[in-house]
Amino acid sequence: MRSTVWVTVARREIVTKLTDRTFLLSTFGLIGLLAVVLGVQAFMANRTETYTVVTSSAPAAQMAAQVELVAEATDDKVSVTVTRAADDAAATRALRADEASVWLHEGGDGWLLTGKADVPDGVETFAATAIREVTLGANAAAAGTSVEELVRGSALSTAVLEGDAEKAGVAQALGFALALLFYLASFTFGYALANSVVEEKASRIVEIIATKITTRELLAGKVLGNLVLAFGQMAIFVAVGLVGLTFTEYDRFIPAISGAVGWFTVFFVVGFGLLACLWAVAGALASRTEDVQSTSTPLTFLTTGVFFGALLATGTAKTVLSFVPPFSAVIMPVRVLEGSAPWWQALVALVILVVAAALVVQVAARLYQRSLLQTQGRLSLRQAWSTPD
Amino acid sequence: MGSGTEAGPYRGVMTGNGAALDVEGLSRSFGDLRAVDDVSFTVPGGLLTGFVGGNGAGKTTTMRMIMGLLALHGGEVRWNGAPITAGDRRRIGYMPEERGLYPKQKVLDQLVYLGELSGMSRADARSAVMVTLERFDLADRAGERVEKLSLGNQQRVQITAALMTTPDALILDEPFSGLDPRAVDSMTDLLREHAARGIPVLFSSHQLDLVERLCDRLVILSRGRVVASGSVDDLRSRGPVRYRTTLGGDAGWIRDVGGIHVVDLDGTTALVEASDPPALQRLLRAAVERGDVLDFARHVPALSEVYREVTA
Repeated sequence: MRSTVWVTVARREIVTKLTDRTFLLSTFGLIGLLAVVLGVQAFMANRTETYTVVTSSAPAAQMAAQVELVAEATDDKVSVTVTRAADDAAATRALRADEASVWLHEGGDGWLLTGKADVPDGVETFAATAIREVTLGANAAAAGTSVEELVRGSALSTAVLEGDAEKAGVAQALGFALALLFYLASFTFGYALANSVVEEKASRIVEIIATKITTRELLAGKVLGNLVLAFGQMAIFVAVGLVGLTFTEYDRFIPAISGAVGWFTVFFVVGFGLLACLWAVAGALASRTEDVQSTSTPLTFLTTGVFFGALLATGTAKTVLSFVPPFSAVIMPVRVLEGSAPWWQALVALVILVVAAALVVQVAARLYQRSLLQTQGRLSLRQAWSTPD
Repeated sequence: MGSGTEAGPYRGVMTGNGAALDVEGLSRSFGDLRAVDDVSFTVPGGLLTGFVGGNGAGKTTTMRMIMGLLALHGGEVRWNGAPITAGDRRRIGYMPEERGLYPKQKVLDQLVYLGELSGMSRADARSAVMVTLERFDLADRAGERVEKLSLGNQQRVQITAALMTTPDALILDEPFSGLDPRAVDSMTDLLREHAARGIPVLFSSHQLDLVERLCDRLVILSRGRVVASGSVDDLRSRGPVRYRTTLGGDAGWIRDVGGIHVVDLDGTTALVEASDPPALQRLLRAAVERGDVLDFARHVPALSEVYREVTA
């Protein structure tokens, strides 16, 4: 039965948080924001641009039909419809009345595309292609040859040796998102944990609790409870993100990133646990809620440092940091995502992180235990370490 | 429940019925300050033991050491004759000097939480809490946040936290401070009731009149040391035998009576100690020869006098 006390502590942490209105509002607010951003993305991606081409002569109408075919074949997000005007004046009127996007007619040294205020890029490109193909075909036939003959050997294909620029872009964006998630989680839940520790100190209930369970059990329960909360919140964010992603044009990358998300999960749990113990110590060093701000300053720097480290580090620095706790908690999964770290490197970094976390837990438990019953003012780390228990 | 009734190596000084808590040679320093110095006493089961001493005498430090909140720099705490364990402590109802509960949590929720930490099941804790709250007429406030309650009611919730587990012993630091006279009475009843279950009850106080009225035994602490302990009657009669006499005229002449030591003299009244019984008879005869003797009686000091004397 005793082995479950820390579960009781963890459950209280969780229930208290889940019934806290501020926490619920911020969580649902963020989920809502995420949904809106992804919704806009999906809307933009699925929107079809329709252009109307007006013509006022039979050859132009024929050419416009060709433009429609090219548009259809090239881009499913752009469609072209063709209307016919009685004469040039009627076509101009249609343009002015916004009934047509462009007016295709003969003029100059070939064809002329007239717009009201501008000629949309999409239509211009498709029109140029269609006109070139049609004219090229006619000219080739007149010269007694064919388009195929003329362009033989001019085909240009592309190939890349490493990766795929678009995939790298996605990896970078996702890396940023994961680093941000870790930062937000460890900061908000870390700060909440520190406050929940100092609340017990300030209200003195810790003196009753400490006669019933060991301070280690209390620390373990608090860290575990906040880990579950942070992880749960993050899982919801990631799930909403992934579901949202399937509605956007980036859905083809989901299989590629799921492996990295797996690594991220493991690193997140261990890394968060490490930082959470330190946040608990920051709370224990304070005696009043007002003190937490100053006792947690070094941690604020560390947590922010991890975030910016993940964002800004490149080359060798990035490789080195990907093994150094707590930076490794974010940077290594990002490297796995980019494909720049093989699985064994991730495993080595994880082992180092676990060992570091175990050490931090030992040190934190001692600091926590010794400062927990000191209710007069702030303690320095040195005082907390050397205070007799 | 305490079940230390079997004959073991332990024999309490004043055995009530059941378990006993022994403190043996307890010491604790804070830096250069020796806050508790070789403190020994027994809290027998079934009796109320008062823990008395001025501010800084070491009462709270001693209680915290008993509860394992402070490390012992010397000595031992024994429960039923064996060194106390964390499990034993979990079964002790403790009320710290500085009261504390989660201000923003509901009364029932946090009491159930504390019950669970003591090893009770959720359901048991729940019903125990409700029974105890009922006792204080607080059952209908169980769903309210602690901060919404009056200070007196918060104090009742606090004592509920210590009592709801049907503890094997009670260690209460200043349980009466901040209580109005009616609440003092119901707290008194409650402590007696728990002592009647056979458990040791130790509570600190600096309200001597209360302690004298309530306690079966008391331990007086001064500057970290036990200066007196025993039953109240014991302590009051422990000192030298004294007599108080009031005469018809000035009592100054008593100073010259052989074998008589005047402790206090105030006009016609004198407080005296006699070196032997015949000296007392000589004094009485002399007094009668000189005039009226309005009063001549054995003087048993009030607890407050004893206290002042031993802590001086």
